[in-house]
Amino acid sequence: MTKPLRPALLSGILLAVLGSLCPFLWFVLTSFKSQIQVEAIPPTWWPDGSVGFYASALIEHRLLHYIRNSVIVAGATTVIALVVATPTAYALARLRMAGKAWILGGLLCVAMFPHIVIAGPVWQILERLGGLNTHWGLVLPYVSLTLPLAVWILTTFFQELPFELEEAARIDGCTGWQALYRILLPLAAPGLFTTAILTFIYAWNEFFFALLILTDPEHQTLPVGIALFQGEFTMPWGEIAATSVIATLPLIIIVLLFQRGIISGLSAGAVKG
Amino acid sequence: MRENDAMTPSTRDHATGWLMIFPALTFVAVFSLYPAMDSFLLSLYSEFPGSERSFIGFGNYAELFRDPVAHQALIVTLGFVLLSTTLELLLGTGIALVIHERFKGRGWTRAAVLIPWAIPTVVAAQMWRFLLNDQYGAVNAILFGDQVDAYVPWLADPWMAFGAIVLADVWKTSSFAGLLILAGLQVIPDETYDAARIDGATAWQRFWHITFPLLKPALLTALLFRTIDAFRVFDLVFVMTQGGPGDATQVIQFYGYKTLFTEGRVGYGTTISVTVFVALAIFSLFYVRTVGSKLLQREPA
Amino acid sequence: MVLLCNVPLAHGREFGTARGSSPTLVSPPVTLHFVTWKADHPQAWDEAIRRFEQAHPRIRVNREIAPHSSTAYHDLLTQKLKNRDVSLDLFFMDVIWPAEFAAAGWAFPLDEYFPQNEREKFLPATIASGVYRHHIYGVPSRIDSGMLYYRKDLLEKYGFSPPSTWNELVRQAEAVLEGERTTHPLLRGYSGQFKQYEGLVCGMLEFVGSHNGSFLTEDGRRSNLTAPESLLAVRFVREQIIQRLATPAALTYQEPESLAVFIQGKAVFHRNWPYAWGLANDPRHSKIVGKVGVTTLPRFSGGKSMSALGGWLYGISAYSQHPDEAWAFIEFMTSPALQKYFAIHASLAPSRLALYADPEVLHANPQYKDLLPVFRTARPRPRTPVYPIVSHILQRYFSRVLAFPKTDILEEAQEADRKINRFLALVRDARE
Repeated sequence: MTKPLRPALLSGILLAVLGSLCPFLWFVLTSFKSQIQVEAIPPTWWPDGSVGFYASALIEHRLLHYIRNSVIVAGATTVIALVVATPTAYALARLRMAGKAWILGGLLCVAMFPHIVIAGPVWQILERLGGLNTHWGLVLPYVSLTLPLAVWILTTFFQELPFELEEAARIDGCTGWQALYRILLPLAAPGLFTTAILTFIYAWNEFFFALLILTDPEHQTLPVGIALFQGEFTMPWGEIAATSVIATLPLIIIVLLFQRGIISGLSAGAVKG
Repeated sequence: MRENDAMTPSTRDHATGWLMIFPALTFVAVFSLYPAMDSFLLSLYSEFPGSERSFIGFGNYAELFRDPVAHQALIVTLGFVLLSTTLELLLGTGIALVIHERFKGRGWTRAAVLIPWAIPTVVAAQMWRFLLNDQYGAVNAILFGDQVDAYVPWLADPWMAFGAIVLADVWKTSSFAGLLILAGLQVIPDETYDAARIDGATAWQRFWHITFPLLKPALLTALLFRTIDAFRVFDLVFVMTQGGPGDATQVIQFYGYKTLFTEGRVGYGTTISVTVFVALAIFSLFYVRTVGSKLLQREPA
Repeated sequence: MVLLCNVPLAHGREFGTARGSSPTLVSPPVTLHFVTWKADHPQAWDEAIRRFEQAHPRIRVNREIAPHSSTAYHDLLTQKLKNRDVSLDLFFMDVIWPAEFAAAGWAFPLDEYFPQNEREKFLPATIASGVYRHHIYGVPSRIDSGMLYYRKDLLEKYGFSPPSTWNELVRQAEAVLEGERTTHPLLRGYSGQFKQYEGLVCGMLEFVGSHNGSFLTEDGRRSNLTAPESLLAVRFVREQIIQRLATPAALTYQEPESLAVFIQGKAVFHRNWPYAWGLANDPRHSKIVGKVGVTTLPRFSGGKSMSALGGWLYGISAYSQHPDEAWAFIEFMTSPALQKYFAIHASLAPSRLALYADPEVLHANPQYKDLLPVFRTARPRPRTPVYPIVSHILQRYFSRVLAFPKTDILEEAQEADRKINRFLALVRDARE
């Protein structure tokens, strides 16, 4: 179905891609420079091709270790958030219950708590549960913080799906759960993938809770790891650049995988028609 | 087997519903609601290093009302929210329209536009600090080349520093808005366009008369979540400017952080955050009543 | 003993064969939790801790890594202490924190471990910074103080000796800039730290203090920002330093950015801490190796040179369950041998006086000889439990008058005065 690109679309693509990538490309260039090039005045454009910063990021700063921790935390957060949010969204969108508006409103409110204000009490809860300096100790609050957005998006998606299919299933004797898992879930795949990407990246990016909860370098996630690269009086731009380049790779892979999901689910139009 | 009649409300439905909602409510109650209540209680006390905690009722709120630094921070924050969310929705719509189209390399384009958002905020903020550096920053190099004497110290000027924070946020989160809007685009049936195309509508007419009205719910969702997030902006300021120069970029959350974490004024710092929350809650309540209610109204025929 | 020796070697140092070095050998091994940061010379720290564990086989040190920015470290550490985190034993305190930590009951008083005769072996300013209301809470790991770096080659070329007053510095810088206009059009007169952050307080203390001004009155009970000498010093910074010598870009500089300008050969004068010496003479970073001089900061005519005291103290958490072992660690790390090791391998200026006569230390750091007088007279920032609050008020005041050139300095100073006085009064009321 590939059509020749219209000029408007082509310029749109170019603008979006360049705008997103250009600032980052500077980081890519920086990552291949030598220390004295990084702080040269005026800046030099072309790196001399040194890989010293990569070596330092990978070996000295143990970058892969932080990436591994981040993948564990973000992956677990995404899975749990989806498992918890999907039935909630289904109930809110499809079941006849009293007080749904309140629940949705309440969930939304939760999304609004400033993180800094709940950080202290969350720390205390996790201390009692033994969750400090563990991955699950970080995953639990992350799930709670990402649930409102996840529920909201999924509710919107379920809402858009036609009721007829589900009713037919229910008439055939499916319970609410079965209707959800057999009929609606496959149809809502684009929504699930969108939610998954949003949740994953949220957990991947989060810094504040991670800094408070994980002080043991063995468990620290990527944002914390990078933030701690900084020495007392030195600003390791080169290492930060090299790290960002490597750390972005898994995300690109995940987006490339998930983005298929966004469209591969049946397009809603077809279902409705 | 019709014990669970889909045509009439049933207790079974009700029970299933609560069972489905229960896990989410538990998470939220333990890790968000309880901490928030706890914080609200703290905001009724006066406490700072070297003093005992003492109950002062709404004294902290009265002080916040009179605090000129807080007022300034609020104005900075509102300016930030207005500018950044507007730009992000505009750019986000553009991004969504582009990556919604079918063309060769769409997967890679999607990945490319999501890169800014996939970079942890603390790193993105460092990156912008680096790009905007007055001596070895790329922005100056692009604008002025080798004319180093023309280089601008972007973050030294109060207005430009504010602009830099907005720029960094727009760069980073436009694709988030774009993804939410894309989700909205997906549920617009293709036939609607085909019909319009046959009628001879231009691209702009198609967007304005067909896409935009149908896109409204998604746009409003994006607006809601971006507003909530922008109002609580913290990381960018923390890394890029520390609120300076001269408090020109001190947003309310950063002020709250400073009083709570650095100054140890537990009661007052909490008060600032609780107030931010109440302001947002009022905004969202209004919002959900006007927009969100539609979301819940659709019931089975 | 027997039990301990039977543990297989694979278990490592924790159970290693202790040769009776510790009197309490029968007690189980202890793991100390030490909140620290990623040091600029990580290998030196790894080695130091390895030596400690070797000397104390039944104590292990587990390092938790926190951010290295003083404020960020403070915020994370105090969060743990507010939560009475019992797993925490040892931490660093910036020299500005002991009053706060003592008042809040977070720091363990070290009076019994750290007797008077031992304290006298340290630089007095560093000891004073650890004392609050007659108790001592910290042991100085090193000393930091502000100093003036200059381009030896450029000053010599124009026949100047290092400036002793700020006005002289301005005159010299302008003469050099004038002379170098064609060859170095981008040369600046001065590079320092004027961003809105803790470092701004240090820098401004040096200007205000060298004009006989101070932030607080002598008794520490009231703010003293509206004194004419303080106001003049602030005006001097705004008009002579920022607007003439340094350019407003300095309003975005913390230590690394300001140092980059200097070691790229783009500034005649530079204010920084002792660490800058090593980097300025390291060919991997610097374009001015061998062309750098360092001296005491200038003063205003009629004033005395003033250098802000910085640096880190070791402290023990009041909630620690192993204060004895924690003390053993501090004693070891601040011993003459270890301070000497850090001075040679990590360029950390020792807090022990005797080391400034040590030939090996001086061989590695020849600049110490000239700097000892600076270290001896370094001036602490205000000492109060509400220091973080006072610091924020000061940062706002200084940053506003420097970044908005039209603001009325007196008005801003009065506002800062009022706020500071309010908090100082609150602390007094709370205690009396």
